[in-house]
Amino acid sequence: MRMWSRVRSWVRAVTGRARMEGEMDSELRFHIEAFAEDLVRSGVPREEALRRARIEFGGVERAKEECREARGVRVLETLWQDMRFGLRMLRKNVGFTTTAVLALALGIGVNTTVFTAFDALVLRPRPVKEPERLVGVYRTAQGESHGALSYPDYVYYRDHSKTLSDVAMFGGGMGVTTPDLRSASSGELPRVAGAAGFHMPQLLQGSAQPLSCFFVSGNYFQLLGTQPAAGRLFLPEDDKEGAPPVVVLSGNFWQSQFHSNPGIIGSTIHLNRVVFTIVGVTPADYLGTVSFVPVLWAPIAARPLVGDGTREALENRSVNSGIVYGHLKSGVSLQDAEAELGILSGQLRAAFPEVERNTGARVVSERAIGHVDSEAWPVVVAAMAAVALLLLIACANVASLLLARAATRRREIGVRLSLGAGRRRLLQQLLIESTLIALLAGAVGLPLASWALHLLVVEIASSLPSYWGAIALEVTPDIRICGYTVLVSLVTGVAFGLTPALQALRTDVNSALKDSGSMLGQRVSKSRLRDLLIVAQVAACLVLLINSALLLRGSQRALRIDPGFDSKHDVYLEMYDPAHLGYSQSKLLQLNRQIREEIAGLPSVTSVTQASRGPISGGNRFVPVTTSDAAPPASPEQADKRPWVGYSYVLPNYFETLDIPIVRGRSFTVEEAEAEAPVVVISEATARRFWPDQNPIGKRLAIGSANGQAYAGETAPFSPGSEVIGIARDVRNLSLRKLDDSYFYLPLSQSRRCTRTFVVRASGSPSSLLPALGSAIRRVDANFPVVAAPLDWMVSFDPYFVISRIGGILSSIVGTLGLFLACLGVYGMVGYSVVERTHEIGIRIALGAQPPQVLGLVLRESARPMLLGTVIGIALSAAVSQLLSAMLFGLNPVDGISFTGVSLLLIVVALFAGWLPARRAMRVDPMVALRYE
Amino acid sequence: MDTQLELLQGTLDMLILKAVSLGPLHGYGVLLRIQQISKDRLEIQQGSLYPALYRLEHQGWITSEWGESENKRKAKYYRLTAAGKRKLQTESEKWNRMADVIAGILQSTPEEV
Repeated sequence: MRMWSRVRSWVRAVTGRARMEGEMDSELRFHIEAFAEDLVRSGVPREEALRRARIEFGGVERAKEECREARGVRVLETLWQDMRFGLRMLRKNVGFTTTAVLALALGIGVNTTVFTAFDALVLRPRPVKEPERLVGVYRTAQGESHGALSYPDYVYYRDHSKTLSDVAMFGGGMGVTTPDLRSASSGELPRVAGAAGFHMPQLLQGSAQPLSCFFVSGNYFQLLGTQPAAGRLFLPEDDKEGAPPVVVLSGNFWQSQFHSNPGIIGSTIHLNRVVFTIVGVTPADYLGTVSFVPVLWAPIAARPLVGDGTREALENRSVNSGIVYGHLKSGVSLQDAEAELGILSGQLRAAFPEVERNTGARVVSERAIGHVDSEAWPVVVAAMAAVALLLLIACANVASLLLARAATRRREIGVRLSLGAGRRRLLQQLLIESTLIALLAGAVGLPLASWALHLLVVEIASSLPSYWGAIALEVTPDIRICGYTVLVSLVTGVAFGLTPALQALRTDVNSALKDSGSMLGQRVSKSRLRDLLIVAQVAACLVLLINSALLLRGSQRALRIDPGFDSKHDVYLEMYDPAHLGYSQSKLLQLNRQIREEIAGLPSVTSVTQASRGPISGGNRFVPVTTSDAAPPASPEQADKRPWVGYSYVLPNYFETLDIPIVRGRSFTVEEAEAEAPVVVISEATARRFWPDQNPIGKRLAIGSANGQAYAGETAPFSPGSEVIGIARDVRNLSLRKLDDSYFYLPLSQSRRCTRTFVVRASGSPSSLLPALGSAIRRVDANFPVVAAPLDWMVSFDPYFVISRIGGILSSIVGTLGLFLACLGVYGMVGYSVVERTHEIGIRIALGAQPPQVLGLVLRESARPMLLGTVIGIALSAAVSQLLSAMLFGLNPVDGISFTGVSLLLIVVALFAGWLPARRAMRVDPMVALRYE
Repeated sequence: MDTQLELLQGTLDMLILKAVSLGPLHGYGVLLRIQQISKDRLEIQQGSLYPALYRLEHQGWITSEWGESENKRKAKYYRLTAAGKRKLQTESEKWNRMADVIAGILQSTPEEV
């Protein structure tokens, strides 16, 4: 009750300030006048009475002041006063203020950037209806934890699940072409990504531009609660076989291509030669459950119409074509749903034993765009730790600056203490000053962060192939980010301001007022704190820089890895989904042959080959394999215990085009390839695996099974006994990380099987061949979209390379910033030390010290903490690099060059930063110094 | 008249509460009433009166409202709240107990110790 009345009266005092003053004034005046009147009544003349009343009352102002204090308005007033004073002090020392604010703005800005990115990817829920209940259903199988589902399985789960509602499917994407529109490609490489070593294969200039089209089930938009920007979105009726083909445009496409004209709703568009009706438009930047904004959305039922005509994706249980989403019903938990789906997938296994072997189901929350699974968490934590370290450096930096400045304010503080200022009040004022610096830094850091993020997103977006769709990532800071920034600013303000403030308050008043020159006793304790700060800064800086050097060198090493095949002279070409053009199989085969001949005819082409997939380009295919003389598997379960080996179909000249030596035996003959004879070329590792210490040539392999797992558009190879005719050198087909465990090559028939991948060996530089390749393909068929890149660039696809590279670049940036800040700290510390010791230096010079001796004296003081910091930094870096090497690829945790090189760099730079102000010490004029107080 | 006793610190609040408990008063009236019921034996610093009044109001023992004085002038009147009444009660009891104890100590003769 008392608390409440206190609060109420305080609020009233604060809000009705003027009124309270007026009331207080009239109340006191009334009192004095009433007293005066009493005196008048007892015979004193009016003037005299008033005078006596006032004297008797005492100081009116003091009474008012005490009244104000009784109401508790003093706190706010003092805060306001201190803030104004603080601002004045900051304005007076512009140099100090700018340095401190910029240093902190760097730290705060970088922190905000990382946090915003983390928020956009992981924390922020998708902009859909009830994101908390949105889940994804994935297939689990050997080697897969987030596998796609087949359409018949999706239908089964949709119709039988009691825990999930609105089960919808995202059926993947496809590029479609339309004769109605033709857009140009830039052909220009993005700057930043190119400089960082990332090169994505781009469309060859002049080839047809496919439009990205995503297929979704009829209830997809209902599940997500999406509202159309115009027209309507899909209904379950649109997703039935035989329904009239409809398509929904993305808002971005509607704006850019049709200028948001509502009249196109209801009009038709030709996609892959099929007529579709446009029924609606999604909002701009609408993502649904994906990461890219497509051009078009179509029902899954329409896929056979624009694809190759087969209904495989819809009817074949082995073709895993999409990702399933649903809403948890109220009261149902993730575990309940997963348990139920486990039962349902068990039912499918019982009903379809050959197809559904070893598969299970898994339910995962789809609340946010990114999943941070257990493998990614260490990277995230490392990134956060790195930027937190930078902020720490910035804080230590500003703290040392403040400490140095406190030395010059000793006199002022001594005077204020002697005039009766309470220590708490002084502490409050010093803390407010540092908080002001921090808030200013936050105000500068926030736009800095949003600029950096914008730059990053734009650069990343422009480096990705245009046919993937557009990126729409919300990375502008919102209220939460602003709040986070302000919070970080306040915390850092108090953190770095507290110690200097407490230090300043321990001033002995007497000596502060006298302010005698050397003040040795004071100096020792203060400089110990400053030394500590320098040590911390140097150590943190070293950790950042050394690890960034390790990461960069690791990623460089990844680039220099010899993949086994010759990547320096080859160009990788891929047809982008030729099936959509509706060409018949024979037409496609004919085109394959024509393209190959056209390319072979180019002057700087040594040879051209085809394969079902290229090396290190993803899409790895595996098939179970045993030796033919082993007993055939007794049951489907046993069949699956066979080792799974990677494979691809290749033309006979594949090995010579990629410079993969055949170490034993031979490659296929043209006849064997044409007939797709049961022969294989295996890799050395495969030979060692199946026939150790024997000659594998002539032996036979049993490949696959009669109705093996198929991949979309491809049947798995099946041969009860294929003869081994050759052994190829081990290469890194599957991943850059290591040589393939086992791999084999099957013959590719030019007349029976068409492939999308070409590899061209150039006699000169591969990148200069690209335009010629583009025109060659255009001569054959101008409708073909083709993606091409020098094979060397495929290396930049490898995820380990990507992570090392990105990690290296980011930590270099952060480390360099840290280095800059640490040097600033050293510069400041030495500078103020010189100012402080001017008196002492003057005496020394007057007594005969030479300038180099003085320089040495000043530098020695700063060299000690730097060396200590270096030693600690090296030790910490070693620990951190051990952690990193467990996560990343190619990292040598004891890379001597990185450690010594970076440490030397730091010491040299820091010494230089100290030498600059120390020069001033040498030029001290003893006469001036001795008079300096 | 005996010389006025100086007011012990902290007792001013109690006296104000007592004065106001006898009826609503403005600040000057509180001063007069205290002087009256103490029969002028207490000396009160006028300057410390109003801070005490404001403090007591802040804590909720008394409440104020503007009214008209005897000579038709605007003045702020204070009166006791229910909580203030209870507070006055407890404070008087404490004071009386304390007075007994102190008086007992001061009266002890050397033989009783």
